[in-house]
Amino acid sequence: MHAEEHSSSPPARRHISNVAVPLGIVAFCVWAFWLSTQFDRVPPILKRGMQPSDFPQLVIGLIILLAVWLMFRDKSEAPARLSKMAQVTMGLLVGFLLIAEVDLFLGLALFSASLATLWGERRVWAIVLVGLISPIAVFFLFDGIFEVRFPRGLLTNLWYG
Amino acid sequence: MDAALNGLMALADPHLMVLIVAATLGGVLVGALPGLNATTGVALLLPFTITMDPVPAIAILTTIYCAATFAGAITAILINTPGTSASATTCLDGYPLAQRGEAGRALGVAAVSSTIGGIISVVCLMAAAPLMARAAYNFAPPEYFALTVFGLSMLATIGDGSPVKNILSGAFGVLLATVGIDLLTSIERFTFGMNELSEGIPFVPVMIGVFGISELLVQADNLHVERKPVIMKKIKLPSREDYKRVWKTILRSSGIGTFIGILPAEGATVASMIGYNEAKRWSKKPEEFGNGSLEGIAGSEAANNSATGGAMVPTLALGIPGSPTAAVILAGLMVHGLRPGPTMFTEQADFAFAIFWSMMFVNILFFFIGLWGAKIFARVTLIPIQILWPIVFIFSIVGAYALEQSMMDVWIAIGAGIVGFFMRRHGFSVVPMAIGLILGGMLETRLGQSMVMLDEKWWLMATRPLSLLFFVLTILALFGPMVWGRLFKQRSPLKSTGE
Repeated sequence: MHAEEHSSSPPARRHISNVAVPLGIVAFCVWAFWLSTQFDRVPPILKRGMQPSDFPQLVIGLIILLAVWLMFRDKSEAPARLSKMAQVTMGLLVGFLLIAEVDLFLGLALFSASLATLWGERRVWAIVLVGLISPIAVFFLFDGIFEVRFPRGLLTNLWYG
Repeated sequence: MDAALNGLMALADPHLMVLIVAATLGGVLVGALPGLNATTGVALLLPFTITMDPVPAIAILTTIYCAATFAGAITAILINTPGTSASATTCLDGYPLAQRGEAGRALGVAAVSSTIGGIISVVCLMAAAPLMARAAYNFAPPEYFALTVFGLSMLATIGDGSPVKNILSGAFGVLLATVGIDLLTSIERFTFGMNELSEGIPFVPVMIGVFGISELLVQADNLHVERKPVIMKKIKLPSREDYKRVWKTILRSSGIGTFIGILPAEGATVASMIGYNEAKRWSKKPEEFGNGSLEGIAGSEAANNSATGGAMVPTLALGIPGSPTAAVILAGLMVHGLRPGPTMFTEQADFAFAIFWSMMFVNILFFFIGLWGAKIFARVTLIPIQILWPIVFIFSIVGAYALEQSMMDVWIAIGAGIVGFFMRRHGFSVVPMAIGLILGGMLETRLGQSMVMLDEKWWLMATRPLSLLFFVLTILALFGPMVWGRLFKQRSPLKSTGE
């Protein structure tokens, strides 16, 4: 509780995120608390010290308490605006998840090649290295040595038959 | 004694020796690459060890831990970029020396300090861990509960972030640990009807997400930051005079680092900062600090490497992680079906000592790598991040998938990565969350057992001397720094560079 004082340089300016983030945490906790009220309960004779909802509710209560404290006392600087590159990379991650549902190998290959290109790689051999050679090497490493089978999909079916 | 000898014999296996040498090289590589650190390296490698026997698997993880912690110094000295946050203080004096063409002296002192610090801490580990385990052998659930609460309270001081945010992050991790079937009542909680979640949120994909994927997003956010080129000059090793000048600092910092490492949750970063500050305080030439002081390098490096052995003491003896990386190793122990805690030294003593000896071996090994291989390893920093990070991503995803061969784990890793990224942006460290997730189950189980034992009168826990001691320590850990800071106006602490 001492670092707030250190982190707040003299003309400490409260930013909207100093309130919005704790508010978001409290909203999440309210939802989680409501979910915890829906848990089954055990009859008193079978109860072993606590009901299943007791501990999560205790932790949720602590989180709410700390979030409210932050709401009024946190004067840390707001983070810099999220860069376009980070936003697009996050979009690529979502795209990867969708493609991976069709084929994990395909998702890895496309994501890696796209990420390298997005981050400024223009050399063809480098894009082939990360988008093709690396996924193939990792696939055979796991399939052959660690005996981990990739989920069946569009491309992996060609290998698994 | 038998266990120590058996452990040493286990290490005599040539196959294991080759694995340790390879893991040392891999660890140095991980530590030298800015953005990757010991915690991320261990988390990424964990799935690869699943098919191995426990001794080589855990030996590899601890090897990566020790070697990566040391290797952070290489890039800190040569390119002013700490490979790991534990080496941030090494930059202060290492880089000025490198700029003056004395990189060899700096690297030599770093290698010697790291090796001596590491060896001292492993000797302490061998002596202290069985003693601590014996002391904890008779702990009842209330003592364990109080100890776990103390361990979690130490999360407040992790990194340079706000203690309140750290505790909040830890509590969030504990909340995540409640997902799945309640062990005491067999009732499902927060599973949303998904069978994959009935056993809880798996540790490994979360670790891979919060340490690996979130770092990928951080790298994307910092893509515009220019990287300084490597200074490659002739490496000239330190003289005998140099070593004479720093030996006291090495011993002092080794003691500090080992002690800091033993404290739950406190890791190499805190140790290196305190080691550096103490080296400066005791130095006859404090004005040299920040301008290329060999004592500064020795103070920082001996402390951060000795913290690795210290951190393994509570991890193995009590099941409470001594550092963020030790938390991932703890998850590795659990995945391999091992039970860290007092029984480890009665039921699996040979295993524990095999790990200790492997750590000793690594510390000696990276002395040679540090002295003669630094120039080569410094070149890995030239790998463009647009090639490095897609490959790290492939390993992260396949690693997350491999454990249970479930796509749900891939979703969890990506989700944890995105959540972790936003947490870091807003000043919440992800380390407490990871440790909270690991300790959460134990915390709840011990509380439940204590409630049964004490007939639901929880306040009776405070009447048991050891529980009371841990609760008092918890209060001191949470409020001590604030009270101390108000009573005695402290200098501003050194800032660390990240996790």
